Amino acid sequence: MTGNSGNGGNSSGIRVASLDDIPEGEGIAISSKITGTEDDIAILRDDDGTCWALNDTCTHETASLAEGWVEDGDVECPLHSSRFNLKTGKVDGLPATRDTVPHRVEVRDGEIYLFPGERP
Amino acid sequence: MTVSSVVVVGGGIAGVSTVAELRKNGYAGELTLVSVDPFPYDRPPLSKEYLAGGRDLDSIALQAPGWYAEQRISLIGGAVAVDVRADAGEVELADGRVLTADRIVLATGGRAIRPALGSPSHVLRDVADADRLRTQLVPRARLLIVGGGLIGAEVASTARGLGAEVMLVDPLSPPLAAAVGIEVATWLHALHADHGVETLTTTVETLLETPTGVAAQLKGEPDSREFDAVLLAVGLVPETALAEAAGLETSRGILVDAGQVTSHPAVLAVGDCARLRDHHRPEHWEAAQVDGARAAATILGVAPAPDTAPWWWSDRYGLHVEGVGEMRSPDAQHQTVVRGVVGEPPFAVFTLRGERVIGAVAVDDPNAVRAARRMIDRGVDVRASDLADPTQNLRSLLRR
Repeated sequence: MTGNSGNGGNSSGIRVASLDDIPEGEGIAISSKITGTEDDIAILRDDDGTCWALNDTCTHETASLAEGWVEDGDVECPLHSSRFNLKTGKVDGLPATRDTVPHRVEVRDGEIYLFPGERP
Repeated sequence: MTVSSVVVVGGGIAGVSTVAELRKNGYAGELTLVSVDPFPYDRPPLSKEYLAGGRDLDSIALQAPGWYAEQRISLIGGAVAVDVRADAGEVELADGRVLTADRIVLATGGRAIRPALGSPSHVLRDVADADRLRTQLVPRARLLIVGGGLIGAEVASTARGLGAEVMLVDPLSPPLAAAVGIEVATWLHALHADHGVETLTTTVETLLETPTGVAAQLKGEPDSREFDAVLLAVGLVPETALAEAAGLETSRGILVDAGQVTSHPAVLAVGDCARLRDHHRPEHWEAAQVDGARAAATILGVAPAPDTAPWWWSDRYGLHVEGVGEMRSPDAQHQTVVRGVVGEPPFAVFTLRGERVIGAVAVDDPNAVRAARRMIDRGVDVRASDLADPTQNLRSLLRR
């Protein structure tokens, strides 16, 4: 752990995981106690290995998006299949109607750095 | 002909999906949504969180309040359509207003079946139904639930959570076997007893109002039983009255083609009110949503998204149940594969025909169903031994 940036004041980001910790198409949740954000943050790895970060709680109900299905630029909520765009956080499929919040992530030397509050 | 105005009658998920998909895919014309309720809301919570009092009406809105204006959709809430004049492209509302449109989409849903049993009883279809039922779900209240399908089971779970005493009757033992297979259905049904719900395999012959509640005469029993409230959860009938009066062809639903077009080319039908000719009428949330998307594609003159295997979910006693496709009993052509142990969530059960998955049901393992759905839709060959192996990543099986 390299620190807690709260709303993104840390220019180097928070090291939250190694790339090897997240299989392609899956995700992990980072506690709000670490990110300093209201919600936990889901780090999600797309089919091509790219990492993305969104607020973890589905805006429809309470499921964790980190446990969802990542595919085709979206994450699909494990409860009711609401879909959110990985880059923008916008709803791509009902029943969710409210967008979620995206955060910037960087991968450096196989380590994932999260910038809570910063847009990708 | 370019369509420049559309009126959608019905504010359930099918109607809202229709207008949402029209706008999402570039429809720029006039768009009107007529809703009996002040605003469209989601129905699955009505038997669960909403019924339990954990969510209010605003929180189950299908779209945020400002969404309709943002999307330039005229939402006419609290309105009832009383006449559809297909040739004229007119929808008349109960207050006398007449809406005109190039295309009319009927999303009138269904109404709960009320067998003639002789006494006031509850059904659960809309918010008003849920509000009425909720007033009776107090600690130690005696509730009889008639029907052990998804809604009946969900209400049993919710009512127990509120401290009510629940009896559930269904002529099938166990219910839901056709949807989830006999093994999972048996286990799911047994959960009722584990949570203090008495289940009986029988039917109700009569309900009689008494000074203190309802006396239910169950088939095969010498004496009636006393309850404070009765819920009938025995299915729904499609709401086709408007369509019938408009001269549209109906038969256990408003008959539609693969593009959701009724027997009149300017009128479409979606959701629980509609039935594709020669097909079973699905009554799941997602099926209604897909209908709306398909109707929007038809109106826009574009190809609809490819069909996907039908999918549904349910929740009871804190467990999340999902199913996709078709669950068949093992026979010469089909085999059943269990991933995990039935009764020890998370687990999943798959039905295969040869090396193709045709259905799956899972408890607390939703991504198994998501994987199965893609296997079905993409026609992926899989080995039963791989599906059964919990160490095998199902996603990786899709990539082979």
